[in-house]
Amino acid sequence: MTTRPCTFPQIASRPYNWPFDGQFSPNDTALIIIDMQIDFCGQDGWCAQCQGDPMPMAAVIEPTRRLLEAMRAAGFWVVHTREGHREDLSDLAENKRWRSARFNAEIGTLGPCGRMLTRGAPGWEIVPELTPLEGEPVVDKPGKGSFYATDLEHILRTRGIRNLIFAGVTTDCCVHTTMRDANDRGFECMLIEDCCAATLPHNHASIMSFTQMGHGIFGTVAHSDALIAAIS
Amino acid sequence: MSIHVPGLYPWPFDGDLRPENTALIVIDMQVDFCGEGGWVHSLGVDVANTRRAIKPIARLLETLRPLGYFIIHTREGHRPDLSDLPANKAWRSAQQTGKGIGAKGPLGRFLVRGEPNWDIVPELAPAEGEIIIDKSGKGSFHGTDLEAILRLKGIRNLILTGVTTDCCVQSTLRDANDRGFECILLEDCCGAGTQDHHDRQIEIFRIMDGLYGSVAMSDDLISALEVTS
Repeated sequence: MTTRPCTFPQIASRPYNWPFDGQFSPNDTALIIIDMQIDFCGQDGWCAQCQGDPMPMAAVIEPTRRLLEAMRAAGFWVVHTREGHREDLSDLAENKRWRSARFNAEIGTLGPCGRMLTRGAPGWEIVPELTPLEGEPVVDKPGKGSFYATDLEHILRTRGIRNLIFAGVTTDCCVHTTMRDANDRGFECMLIEDCCAATLPHNHASIMSFTQMGHGIFGTVAHSDALIAAIS
Repeated sequence: MSIHVPGLYPWPFDGDLRPENTALIVIDMQVDFCGEGGWVHSLGVDVANTRRAIKPIARLLETLRPLGYFIIHTREGHRPDLSDLPANKAWRSAQQTGKGIGAKGPLGRFLVRGEPNWDIVPELAPAEGEIIIDKSGKGSFHGTDLEAILRLKGIRNLILTGVTTDCCVQSTLRDANDRGFECILLEDCCGAGTQDHHDRQIEIFRIMDGLYGSVAMSDDLISALEVTS
């Protein structure tokens, strides 16, 4: 095993350098990659079936892959999440099912990539470029946030993680719900702006603005270049 | 009988709107967010942007109370010993003026339970029997008994109002939606530090014609209830 510095200095981010209290290390910091699934990033996934444009999400696969490799090389823990429902749909709220049916893309029914947003279907899988490695936990969740009805908080606390770096899709939905919930739990959060995307670019921009209000009410925003340079 | 409130989509999705299964949540209408001498005011924010929600919420309360709807108020604030205040939240709050959460303001300690500035504004004072949820974060579910109370009461539909649109209201609505509650946000009964952020938040809620719930004006709800009562 090669020796490497076990702590890194603060990252240049907005509105303050992150983390707020100084250094970070693989012992206390994890990368969380939200919902980089074919259902959200693929031409034939659920999002596309709902008439959403998957191109902005597909475009962040490459920068996220680059970030993922740098984080892995520096020894950081990586957590992946997937939105999807049990095959019997016992965890699907009736209003969520109804809303998706309005787009002729009802969750659990057959789409071009198998049953939409259903665990085990091809469309529910993480895109191949970002396939989790052994030892990287995958958190399956029925909602937008990654804490509700999952063991995410338990595994983060058990590992001693207090800083979270966020990438994934979509910025305005699952990424920000999870970041908000993490912030309320006291985690120090940083959002990597070029490694997340929304179906509508102006909504992505709004989330960057919300995050920075009140001197970082939910944490900070940074570019992956700054992070990769610091840990490489 | 089925009732639908016109808005982003006719709400609730299945028309099952009754006082027995529906609650109004009034979020953080406290002096610290809406009043002179409060926390937000000390940061130089124009509290007119949050106070704009007071009158429409007062009218809504007058309408819903006699009909028997379940009413819940929330308050953001910390224990006097600040044992529930994360270190990063404390640090961020002190960056702008040097006086962060727990520091003494013109009326009392900012965002601390029991202080005059932490109280709900008098116009919207909770009535006897109405639930008050004290929370340490932005969302109203984490670290509280809100979900337990809603489930025990049989509540399925939530009407969301209060401040601020982009912060505590949005966090609570997102967390409620993940839990299967059928939510509606009343646009005129909310406010943010800036009108721009309020408008952008409403725009985000419009994706996929209501990914998190519906959006309407309080008149839409009141009219729908009057037609049926």
